[in-house]
Amino acid sequence: MEKNKEKNFQKKSASSDEVLLKVEHLCQYFPMGGTELKAVDDVNFEIKKGEVFGLVGESGCGKTTTGRSIIKLYNITSGNVYFKGIRIAAGKRSYVNAIREAKKTYKEKMAAAKSDEEKQRLKKELDAIIAENKKKIKEAQYDQKNCDKEYSGKLVKELNEKYLPRLEKAQGEEKEKLNKEYKKELYKAKHTKLVTQIQMIFQDPIASLDPRMTIREIISEGLVIQGEKDKEILEKRVYEMLEVVGLVREHAGRYPHEFSGGQRQRIGVARSVIMNPDLIIADEPVSALDVSIQAQVINLLNDLREKMGLTILFIAHDLSVVKYFSDRIGVMYFGKMVELASSDELFKNPLHPYTRSLLSAIPLPDPIYEKKRKRITYNPLAEHDYSVDPPTFREIKPGHFVQCNQAEFDAYKKIIKD
Amino acid sequence: MENKLSVRNLTVSFRTSNGRVQAVRGINFELAKGETLSIVGESGSGKSVTSKAILGILAGNAIIEGGEIIYDGKDLLKMSEKEFHAIRGDKIAMIFQDPMSSLNPIVRIGRQLTEAMILKGKARQRESRRCFNEYLKELKQNMTAAIAGDDKEKAAQLAKKCDDFNKFEYQHLKLEGTYRTAHEAALEAVDDIEALVFEMEKNEVKDASYRLKELVKLLKSSVHEYVVKEEADKLKALTTELESDIKTVKKQGTSYDAMIRRLKEADEILKRATAKEEPNFFCMGYYQTFSGKELPDKKDIGELNKYLRKYLDDNFMLDFIADAKKGMIYAAELSYKNKREAIDALKKYLPVFEKSELDEKESQEAVKILSEKVLATINRMEVVKDNLTYTFPTRLKSEVGRYFSSITKNKEEKKRYEKAKAKYDKLVNRGKTPEWKVVEAKLTDLDEVRDDICYQIKRMIDHYQVSLSAKDNRDFDAETEAGIDYLKENASGVVNKVTKQIAKAKAIKLMEEVGIAEPRKRYRQYPFEFSGGMRQRIVIAIALAANPDILICDEPTTALDVTIQAQILELINKLKRERHLSIIFITHDLGVVANMADRIAVMYAGKVVEYGTAEDIFYHAAHPYTWALLSSMPDLDTNEKLEAIPGTPPNMIYPPVGDAFAARNKYAMKIDFEQQPPMFQISETHHAATWLLHPDAPKVEPPKIIAERIARMQNRRENEDGEE
Repeated sequence: MEKNKEKNFQKKSASSDEVLLKVEHLCQYFPMGGTELKAVDDVNFEIKKGEVFGLVGESGCGKTTTGRSIIKLYNITSGNVYFKGIRIAAGKRSYVNAIREAKKTYKEKMAAAKSDEEKQRLKKELDAIIAENKKKIKEAQYDQKNCDKEYSGKLVKELNEKYLPRLEKAQGEEKEKLNKEYKKELYKAKHTKLVTQIQMIFQDPIASLDPRMTIREIISEGLVIQGEKDKEILEKRVYEMLEVVGLVREHAGRYPHEFSGGQRQRIGVARSVIMNPDLIIADEPVSALDVSIQAQVINLLNDLREKMGLTILFIAHDLSVVKYFSDRIGVMYFGKMVELASSDELFKNPLHPYTRSLLSAIPLPDPIYEKKRKRITYNPLAEHDYSVDPPTFREIKPGHFVQCNQAEFDAYKKIIKD
Repeated sequence: MENKLSVRNLTVSFRTSNGRVQAVRGINFELAKGETLSIVGESGSGKSVTSKAILGILAGNAIIEGGEIIYDGKDLLKMSEKEFHAIRGDKIAMIFQDPMSSLNPIVRIGRQLTEAMILKGKARQRESRRCFNEYLKELKQNMTAAIAGDDKEKAAQLAKKCDDFNKFEYQHLKLEGTYRTAHEAALEAVDDIEALVFEMEKNEVKDASYRLKELVKLLKSSVHEYVVKEEADKLKALTTELESDIKTVKKQGTSYDAMIRRLKEADEILKRATAKEEPNFFCMGYYQTFSGKELPDKKDIGELNKYLRKYLDDNFMLDFIADAKKGMIYAAELSYKNKREAIDALKKYLPVFEKSELDEKESQEAVKILSEKVLATINRMEVVKDNLTYTFPTRLKSEVGRYFSSITKNKEEKKRYEKAKAKYDKLVNRGKTPEWKVVEAKLTDLDEVRDDICYQIKRMIDHYQVSLSAKDNRDFDAETEAGIDYLKENASGVVNKVTKQIAKAKAIKLMEEVGIAEPRKRYRQYPFEFSGGMRQRIVIAIALAANPDILICDEPTTALDVTIQAQILELINKLKRERHLSIIFITHDLGVVANMADRIAVMYAGKVVEYGTAEDIFYHAAHPYTWALLSSMPDLDTNEKLEAIPGTPPNMIYPPVGDAFAARNKYAMKIDFEQQPPMFQISETHHAATWLLHPDAPKVEPPKIIAERIARMQNRRENEDGEE
């Protein structure tokens, strides 16, 4: 037990400084009968390689939407998502808005302008701004569409470098064999997408598995799509994965309904881990499970993380689990990130009133304490006065960010403990 | 404490194509009034099946093999479907686990909320009318028998008294009803105004015109003789001004200053009005019905109340109460006499069932006579029903029936087992390993059934003797009062009708109560337009709409996030306090239970394995399964690897011979695989079924993770107390 504890602590500090995923000004709006629903509104965060980043918040606050936007299940409205330094998703709304804004201000300026010369100059300026933003929009559209193409292009190039010289040297039968291998690899490389290195585990293990596919088909589907045709390799990989997640080979031929909830969730984990992902987005993987099975799945994810060096974006609403599992935690409220800090720091120094209300609502296995517990309620209208000074996301202490304005910033500074 | 519901020896199994799944295997618990009982366990442990059995909504392939669920003097397992309609949803309501599948996707939320209210409203009116009339009739009979005897004139006088009571009681409720609507409107208006003013001052109002309109309606209806009287004109003037504001508020950029001023004024008037004393409508009802005079002009309501009270007491009430008390005593005496007779009969017929083999004809005869005798002891003047007496006949009949049907069933079962066994052996002899197993012959122990029957009779005798010995301590004054309150309550059920508008208002209020923002807009939406948490709130609102006695919550917060979970738990706790609800709370999350439960039953594989108060379970857990549950959930200070329970629950088609948890239990001993542990008593409230508690068992400490946590919790509690 002691050993385990030590290991856990080591692991928590083991995440390197390499940024794996960077989310910049992410906005995701959905059209809703004339108006727009701002599901995610200007969210910024970074996930470093090897860490577990927890995302908490109440239902409907945009946690899941954030996760799905990152994996490109939605086309994002505005902002950028960088994965391994490559822009994988980009929205154009901010640029469109910039153009509109510029047109409006310059129209006023033009009306106020006296001489023709000045007007000419203003028009030039405006055109420059518009051109610049249009260029950005084009870039964004290109990246959004072609990031995978570029990535697979890169892979093809690497393959060419590896195989072509050898092919030239080779003779007769060997050449044929090599050629065959080269073609196969080439096919795979062409079908590889960058986004497949981000995988998702879904909340509901029943709904996310196709009831008409066997477990073998479900787990190997990703590889098949990627171009792996060799049945033997597929079989081998599937068995490997089943063992990794604590199931046995015999399970491969069964259907999802033959499994219990915890086992189904293990299949979901196996399906995502088989792609050798760098980042796993775990969207409430344990919310639908029994307590005992929850512990099994959390232990499994912890083991996998140790074994395969996974980075995990862990979306959940159970704060005890998030605290247990994550290195850093971001708290979301109505589409906005309101606080971000390392998990120990967040629970020691909760600053934003919403975070405090969230922490005060955690049920604990202690009846005497529970019966006295007072929950803090959060009413954004009563808590904040943003009529003069709108809030921004500020760093209050290294690694601890809060959404606040200047007055609140000063107040928070005073209460913060070391 | 008064027992609301008791479940004894409940056994339920399901027919499936693979064999019989034994979901619940003989569980016992009692639920007291105003108490929360939590049932904790993994999925498949039979928690939901138990709750569904209580509500009578088990799936079609379920077989109730035995046991009883007693509620309000009735055994719910032996009730006809028609009788169940009066109880299900009305007296016992349920909040389901999955909000999406418990709402109708193609009907608007508002309709779903009000549908039951309107239907139940009509039914309840009829029911209340029936109860009122019956009880009054019973009272009249007893009073006549006690006082008048054969004196016809006296009897007529008493009858008139009862009729008078009937008459003015309705007048009272009419008066009170109009007052209540006005008073509640005023209270609601105060809340609305405060919220609106707060938002207006912040300049962030959402659909102001609609809310103003609703507010104006409330203000108008709050004008009443005893609510807003002196300042009624002023309030009316303010109301008309606010009405004109509705138009301006639609334009953007209007300033709210004038409106805020008006609202504040109205707020003050209403606050003064709602703080005033409430007139005594019960007395007023009598005065208005029988005095034939106008109400005396008294400024102070306190004085008026005193005057009216005196008038009522002098002319009617004291007499009536004295007479009613006599009636009560008479009924009780009669019941005692019958009880003594019943004891004799019970003692006389007990030997019939103590024979080693029962005789069918003789037994049935005895059942018939005993049922009659016991039913005769029922005193219908008692408001709190004596469950044991009411259910005795059905219970006795079913037990005796079980005895005789078991004789034939056992024969069949034996035959089946022998046949299956022969087939199995044949296959094995051929060198095959069949996939199926032979289900053990499930024979009913006839001696056990016979003992049960004797136990029922003996228990009845004991029960009567206890009640006879407590005879001298009975407080008939209190009982009379309770009886009259019961009449009043039923009368209010008749007068308070539920119309569509009332149902809508009530629904919107409920929606607000369960924390749904903009309820008026939400009222017209469909379930798919709600998020998971919101949907669950709707389900809770529907369950509460009928104002039930017992609320069964089947994992109501499992799909919700912490803040909403906390809100909903607080909501349930609040409702429990206000309405004296008894709650059965089913969950697998022990964290939630700590907050809610007074008592906890831990279930595994269809049995209760540990049973105690919340403190017992959390601080002194004794069963390895409870330990496993506690240690497999992380809390905020957990750093070590979690101790997951290995494996899965057993297949209940072939329930294990010994302790069902043995296979997953690291503390399991040899006996755990051979024999089922009995319930060991640890303290007066705390029981657990594990061999570890046997005196011969080795001493086992609970896992370190739990001990550490308990110590940590205690430290923190002490620290916090110190800070305060």
